[in-house]
Amino acid sequence: MVQEEIVRIFQILFFPGFLFLVLAAFFYEWVDRKFVARLQNRLGPLHTGPMGLLQPFADFLKLLSKEDIVPGAADRLFFSAVPIFMLSLPLTALFCIPIISSVALVSFEGDLIFVIFVTTLFVISVFIGAWSSTNRFSTVGGMRACLQMLGYAVPMTVAMIGPAIVAKTLSISRIVQWQTTGLWFVLTQPLGFAIVAICFLAELQKIPFDIPKAETELVAGWLTEFGGKKLALLKLAEDLNFVLAGSIMASLYLGGASGFWFAPPFVWFIIKLTVCTLILSNLRALFARFRIDQLMRGVWKYLTPLALLQIILVELIPW
Amino acid sequence: MISVSMEKELVKHLVRKAATLRYPFDKFPPVEGLRGKHVWDREKCVGCGLCARDCPSSAIEMIGKGLTAELKINLGRCLFCGQCEDGCPREAIKLTQVYELAESDRKKLVLEFKREST
Amino acid sequence: MIERICGICSHAHTTCYTQAVEEALKVDLPPRAKYIRTVVAELERIHNHYFWLGILAHEIGFDTLFMYTWRDREIVMNLLELISGNRVQYAMNIIGGVRRDIMPSLSSEIMKGVKILAERMTYYKKVCLDEKTILARCVNVGVLKAKDAISLCAVGPTLRASNVRRDVRADDPYAAYDEIPFHVVTYDGCDVASRIATRCDEVLESVKIIRYALEHLPTGSIEVIVSRVVPSAETIARVEAPRGENIHYLRSNGTDKPARYKVRAPTLANLPALCRMLIGGYVADIPVVIAGIDPCFCCMDRLAFADTNTDKTWSWEGERLRKYGVKWYKKK
Repeated sequence: MVQEEIVRIFQILFFPGFLFLVLAAFFYEWVDRKFVARLQNRLGPLHTGPMGLLQPFADFLKLLSKEDIVPGAADRLFFSAVPIFMLSLPLTALFCIPIISSVALVSFEGDLIFVIFVTTLFVISVFIGAWSSTNRFSTVGGMRACLQMLGYAVPMTVAMIGPAIVAKTLSISRIVQWQTTGLWFVLTQPLGFAIVAICFLAELQKIPFDIPKAETELVAGWLTEFGGKKLALLKLAEDLNFVLAGSIMASLYLGGASGFWFAPPFVWFIIKLTVCTLILSNLRALFARFRIDQLMRGVWKYLTPLALLQIILVELIPW
Repeated sequence: MISVSMEKELVKHLVRKAATLRYPFDKFPPVEGLRGKHVWDREKCVGCGLCARDCPSSAIEMIGKGLTAELKINLGRCLFCGQCEDGCPREAIKLTQVYELAESDRKKLVLEFKREST
Repeated sequence: MIERICGICSHAHTTCYTQAVEEALKVDLPPRAKYIRTVVAELERIHNHYFWLGILAHEIGFDTLFMYTWRDREIVMNLLELISGNRVQYAMNIIGGVRRDIMPSLSSEIMKGVKILAERMTYYKKVCLDEKTILARCVNVGVLKAKDAISLCAVGPTLRASNVRRDVRADDPYAAYDEIPFHVVTYDGCDVASRIATRCDEVLESVKIIRYALEHLPTGSIEVIVSRVVPSAETIARVEAPRGENIHYLRSNGTDKPARYKVRAPTLANLPALCRMLIGGYVADIPVVIAGIDPCFCCMDRLAFADTNTDKTWSWEGERLRKYGVKWYKKK
């Protein structure tokens, strides 16, 4: 009994808990940067660590050592709370994702809804952060982030319900377990997979949907006033969010952490997660940025009906 | 709504060698005729002062006159246009291919050419 | 010194200056010098348009295209380095000719580089006119109708993208443009997308000009010796810089220094048109439209003071500005 407790604490704190997730966040930031750089015929991070592997960590340390500035007009309480709040959100959500076995650290019926809820909260905290920093670029960026969420949240949620309907459960772990016996959902619901990928690009605020942070228009968007430690935490939160997006895609559509052939579930999870992040990075290099009205129009005119169509298809063709 | 016209190109570049040079370690060989740092041949110079007069940004200062004249070139002001090289009747002043001239101290940017080698 | 006005169109500004001085001196250039000037000017145009395409791609968030165009820009910069000995400040023009000759070996090198550049530009044009995300940001953005373009004195590719056929190279030929056949590219979209198309086509046109000029390069000297002293005269020179029409005014007073010199760079001329383009746009379109005219803010630096309380505006002389600067730095 005591031993079990110790194992559990170890799992939460180190593997696959906090430490692992933070390291994974740094690693996938590196994957993203390196891959995009290679696509653009550049070298990418190079000097810190083997092939620049430690660059995101070095950036993090550098930001931690910078002066911490709070603008005079800012709402101090919220301004300081937002980075911590934001960091905790994707971490919490990641505990619901099965990583080393097909059962997650925290698993209960309905945790899919909980994860979706957390991704939405992320945007709310973006808005609070933007609002409390009282910079006009931040404010516009925060407004755009919220508008964007109104667009992508609906098709994303609808599309993510697709696997849940087939597996007859709202628990991510159960959906993963279902896929060990049945086909992967990416094969039966490719449309849903594509929609979720596009929506995650918008959720992560990456090109072509980096509208809230459009650097040529809004300096750094809602991030403008954050600096030093706060910016470091925010960047880490974004990286964690990137990992979260990749692992949701991997779990819902690619079978997630399920043992197969020779390797244990964990190895397969990492491979699938890498594939998903590479897909997201590739899309990032492929497009120009949309305008906010174009995004909204596109999302409501095409993505939402397509997501609904996917649900109807799921109902019609029972796999 | 969305086309992926660039995807083929992206994949092609993925396997290609990167265009970036790792600069301080790999360098471009300077091309022939690059206009870089000056050298001065004290044997040839007759101290006519044409270079100092022609210099569009007054970067060259000639101290003294005739065969004893000495030269002072302020690289911070220099345009590297090559007018001094072209204008010199004795080809005493030349631009070399040395192009890494950045300094953190302004005073170090002044090249002083002396008659007596010290 | 003139070429330091602008980092990108350094050749256009010096060409303009030397033309003004040559007109005052009443000298005629040897044909070979004229052709070499034309070749360098067109290479510079290619350089500028590649540069601009990258900037625009960056403004609309398409960093991949930005990286690619800037990588290919290296080719033309290397060519210019081979010709003149510097990548940006070519210093090719001297009063009465050009500083360096183009040897046959160099000319074949240029031909090779130019071929790659033309291929790449054809590809980029295809990408820009196919890629829906780019078109979504550029079509019907920053519209400038032909009538407005003329009445607001727009110049260069901005004007030609509004379907006005006006190009100093064709209307008032200088250097060797009267002997080289070329097309003036115009598009009738009047928006940022047609500005992209205009500039892409201009690059291809420049490649043709360079090929023709190198094949028909006349023999002879590359410069004439001119006197150092310029007789008193008043001249205006016009040059089609990559960004548009460049006007230089010179008044000499019989010494070797000009008495008055005035530069009107193309960006300044495009500013009123820019104000018109921005009306009715989105906030997100502002950077795209501003980048669309290919602005060079150092080219158009003019200083004026305005007191917002009393609505008074005034300007300072150079000397007063210098004194203010010295004082400001001392206080620091």
